[in-house]
Amino acid sequence: MKGAFRGMAAIIKKEFARFFFDRRMLITTLILPGLLIYVVYTLMGSFVTNIAGDGNYSVAVKNMPGSMEPMFAAVEQFEISDADRDDDYYKSQVTEGGLDIYVIFPEDFDEIIAFAGTSGYVAPEVQIYYSSSADGSTAAYSAFAAVLDAYEQAISNVFNVNTGGNYDLSATSAATYILSAIVPMVLIVLLFSGCMAVAPESIAGEKERGTFATMLVTPVKRSHIAIGKIISLSCISLLSGLSSFLGLMLSLPNLMSGVFDGVDLAMFGAADYLMILGVMLSTVLLLVAMISCISALAKSVKEANSYIAPLNIIVVVVSLLSSFLGNPSAPLYLIPIYNSAMIVTDIMALAVSPLNFIIAIASNIVYAALLVFLLTRMFKSERIMFNR
Amino acid sequence: MQEILSVCNLKKQFKLSYKQQKLQHTDKKVLTAVDGLSFTACKGEIFGLLGPNGAGKTTTLRMLATLITPDSGDAYIEGYSVVKQPDKVRSRIGFLTGELKLEDFFTPNYLFNFFSELYGVPADVRARRKNELFSRFGIDRFAEVKLANLSTGMKQKVSLVISVVNDPEFIIFDEPTNGLDVLTAKTVTDFLLELKAQGKTIILSTHIFSLVEKICDRVGIIIDGRLAALDTVSAMTKEKGLEDVFFDIYAQTAGGVQ
Repeated sequence: MKGAFRGMAAIIKKEFARFFFDRRMLITTLILPGLLIYVVYTLMGSFVTNIAGDGNYSVAVKNMPGSMEPMFAAVEQFEISDADRDDDYYKSQVTEGGLDIYVIFPEDFDEIIAFAGTSGYVAPEVQIYYSSSADGSTAAYSAFAAVLDAYEQAISNVFNVNTGGNYDLSATSAATYILSAIVPMVLIVLLFSGCMAVAPESIAGEKERGTFATMLVTPVKRSHIAIGKIISLSCISLLSGLSSFLGLMLSLPNLMSGVFDGVDLAMFGAADYLMILGVMLSTVLLLVAMISCISALAKSVKEANSYIAPLNIIVVVVSLLSSFLGNPSAPLYLIPIYNSAMIVTDIMALAVSPLNFIIAIASNIVYAALLVFLLTRMFKSERIMFNR
Repeated sequence: MQEILSVCNLKKQFKLSYKQQKLQHTDKKVLTAVDGLSFTACKGEIFGLLGPNGAGKTTTLRMLATLITPDSGDAYIEGYSVVKQPDKVRSRIGFLTGELKLEDFFTPNYLFNFFSELYGVPADVRARRKNELFSRFGIDRFAEVKLANLSTGMKQKVSLVISVVNDPEFIIFDEPTNGLDVLTAKTVTDFLLELKAQGKTIILSTHIFSLVEKICDRVGIIIDGRLAALDTVSAMTKEKGLEDVFFDIYAQTAGGVQ
């Protein structure tokens, strides 16, 4: 029995040797994807932060009403200074960017608004000078106007909505929601590109170079060649996928810091990460088996890549669907790729059902096994392996 | 003499695509590559298959090596059928052809070990054989150089050594000296004679008359997938050289050289 698997072990070993001893391949499939994703997403995050500004607005206010002073003092973002020079000076400051906004209240603002609601009342005007070409200035304008609005609402109080207290009943934060929408699609696309980097080369490439036939002359069983190839290619693709996933997860806090805080990877436990690993493994097995079967049909790597292109599109669309369709029923977890994306969505939303998890993993493994059987049949077919 | 190979009425047809039909100026949808071929080879002999390009030599050898299956007929190597027991046949033969390539990325040493494992050669036997064969062909000097960096001659030596990695009793060589310089070609023919001296059976396809005259015991001339003549080389060349004999036979069967 041991001898029977020696050929399979030799093929696995050879595929690993082909990959791990090739520095170029190692760098392009294992190190670069993770590194690139980390760098690109971190840069994107820092751009977002820059656009939002550092969060502090310099504001010059003329005639600050006594009633509003404590309100603005409470907002940490505003660095308020009293305007004691003439208007033109401050306006030019706003234009040149030395100041975010310049606000002018009427001199006796508090006295005027005390008569609000009486007949003959003329509402006083607050002037806010800003520069629409500067992002910080626009943001400061909106923030200042929002405070004024809130004050206006407060003094003409007719009714209140949600003042004080926590009314959000969701158990999870918005961060988990965003994670559960982005991560599954990106993860599956990354896994797919990991498989694409190795599988066509190993099947169609060997066919193209005539090295596959050399293996077919030996007494190793075709099924052992198929299993050996799928196992080794899956391991390599998984490593490539893990590298990308690591880059993605590590860059998420940087990517989202400009939008909101609260993305904390520590909210996922070891069990969550293990489940993700399980999904990734079963998905990679399936993807490698699919890509290998298609590659076996092709005469060259180039041809294989063009055959696989439509599959790539299907995989992207199907994994995207998981973010749109909420709460699918258990049988839907039998749909390949979609089930993987759904499970990752569930894990990210901290709402995974054990039954669905098992259905997804088991069905992926069954599909992969069926494809290995198909691949064996293809390796036995002289029309597929030797037709030129 | 013990019969090691027996080929019985072997037939193989290939479908022609529309493009191939146009290229070959024919309306036929099917090309008969091998048409009812029968012959035998005995232990310890070198059997030559001689014929022009496209005669069906390579197709015959590929069927014997179990890479493709015959449409009808069968061949038995050491009593095992190439159709029904391909796994048994594969473990008993060596096959060398220009079509079967070795991966450029690996070294001769790695490839020898890899194929030894595929054939299930025990580690101690493998080490001994590697030593013998590598020093016999001078591969030990470049055993750790990637194939991509070797010359054509060096590569052919590595292919030769790997084709006999399992120490087979029956070896198939498809045009083994094609594209080689005279020195490397001589190394190959010397090795074939050495194998014969060890009692191995060799079947060899070629279109080089001198090679047949020099090393083959018997020769079968294939024309259009059929065996046009079969005899010992000495009997066939009793009156004139093999080349003239071949042209005579060709003129009789195919109606002269075009």
